[in-house]
Amino acid sequence: MTRLFNRLFIQPFYEQNAGSLLVVTLLAFGFMRPMDHEALITAALGSPLLLGLVFLLWGLYTLKAITFIIARLNDPTHLFLTAFRLVSRANRWLVWSAVLIGLLLPVLGYAGWMLARAVHYDQWFALNGIIGFLIGLVVVGVSVVDYRLRHPAPDRFRLPRPAFRLPYLLFFPTYWLRHEPLSLLLTKGCSGLLLIGVCRLYPTDEYDERLLLIGLLLSVLFQASVPRQLSQFEGRYLPLLDNLPYSVNRRFGQYMVLYGLLWLPELGLLMRNRPDAVSIGYIALLWLTGWGWLGLLHAFTYGRDVDPNRWLAILFAGFILGLLTIMAGLPVVVWGLLGWGVALVYTQLRSLPLNVTS
Amino acid sequence: MLTVTNLLKAYDGHPVLTIPDLTFPPGIHYFRGSNGSGKTTFLRVVAGLLPFSGRIQLAQTYDIRQQPVDYRLRVNYAEAEPRYPDFLTARDLATFVANAKRAPAGQVNQLADLLGVSAFWTQPTRTFSSGMLKKLSLLLAWLGHPSLVLLDEPLTTLDVETAGRLFDFIQERVRQGVSVWLTSHQDITLTGLPLTASWQVSNGTISPIDHDPAV
Repeated sequence: MTRLFNRLFIQPFYEQNAGSLLVVTLLAFGFMRPMDHEALITAALGSPLLLGLVFLLWGLYTLKAITFIIARLNDPTHLFLTAFRLVSRANRWLVWSAVLIGLLLPVLGYAGWMLARAVHYDQWFALNGIIGFLIGLVVVGVSVVDYRLRHPAPDRFRLPRPAFRLPYLLFFPTYWLRHEPLSLLLTKGCSGLLLIGVCRLYPTDEYDERLLLIGLLLSVLFQASVPRQLSQFEGRYLPLLDNLPYSVNRRFGQYMVLYGLLWLPELGLLMRNRPDAVSIGYIALLWLTGWGWLGLLHAFTYGRDVDPNRWLAILFAGFILGLLTIMAGLPVVVWGLLGWGVALVYTQLRSLPLNVTS
Repeated sequence: MLTVTNLLKAYDGHPVLTIPDLTFPPGIHYFRGSNGSGKTTFLRVVAGLLPFSGRIQLAQTYDIRQQPVDYRLRVNYAEAEPRYPDFLTARDLATFVANAKRAPAGQVNQLADLLGVSAFWTQPTRTFSSGMLKKLSLLLAWLGHPSLVLLDEPLTTLDVETAGRLFDFIQERVRQGVSVWLTSHQDITLTGLPLTASWQVSNGTISPIDHDPAV
């Protein structure tokens, strides 16, 4: 049973969140040294406020994991899971606990580090607090998902449906908002916060534009799961798209307009937080570059089953390569041309779904 | 009408359908076969929904790969078990597909009345029964100016009245030169449709059924 649940929940969760987890890992362990973490952990162990902030982050992550499980339970393809109700409560709780622990591994890993330091510094109050909070997270998580399993009522709360005729361009954004709202919030929220943070990092006269490019790279990586989500959505609910008489270029154009729409909030944030020393033209170029790179991610992943480990490795390699070339001074224009150009050429080569072969 | 040459369809490297050379004349064609024999796979391949190797050509003119847009303008498909985003309405989907398939003005409404979709035109599909979903998928399959309409299990979950109207409509469209391919586990002879040919899908290939009483 645990193997089945692993394939149903744990594997897809990490697969879907590979990009954002990578960015968090890069931020946490790329920019911060181990000694910075040691200092942070020591401070958190001695300060209830800081420890509370750490708990808040862990709670948000757990919320994301719980909503992922609930979304899966509500999915018609997972209706067979209602049979799981027939299993005894004790066994259900055991399986759900294994699932929750599997999903909370990043939190548990960091908590383990904190616990080791708590023992080292004799911080027993903090140690008990951390253990209690972690147990609480798992218990609350298991209670919520088990309750949902026993009370399948997906119609209880729904966002109102727009009264107007929904154009194709809004199919996926609406799906994202209605079915995976937390994913939307976290993806766009973290991407936006990253860009704001980079813009405000050194708002001096001699602003290093390479910082903005690094911020853009991280922001795009944060959205690396979006093309995969789009692909899964259309593959599952709109297979008829492949039967529509659209040319390769028209399909590419439609998807680029969609990504432009999804990427539009970042333009507003960049413009609003633009450092004084950076021109509006550069910001526009930066945004266009991010747009092109989203298109490139789409061209590479749409309609493909990519192994999550391989995908993570590709993103990581892409980040390192990107970082090196940015630090070497590769200008944003070249980045933009690369993103748009490769996306366009690769789309022509793949020609989905028109030139498909087995 | 439609020519299939050296078709090979495989899943994970395992061939499920091999068709060296087949020509389907215009008319109504019925494909029969047990569950998992490859009927749906074949229709999905012809509709351009699944990757394959080989060649498919419509009317000796439109190759599925060389003229992908023209081909898809002329070949429509209705799924056996249609699923749509649960927040979309029949109106959203029909408008979208009608635009893509270049449907003439008024066609959507005409088909919606014929198939009884008008009754739930602006309801989200999450409120649909399987029969309502089937009606919507059949509506979408007739939009535009198709030369070939692929109907996968059209009888499943469809009520008797709508099925009767659909068969009359199919006959009318066939008289106008449209070809229709059907799969069904029900007795197709009860539909009264004048079949041009019957085909057996089994052992990973498709062969004509000679002297089929249904034809």
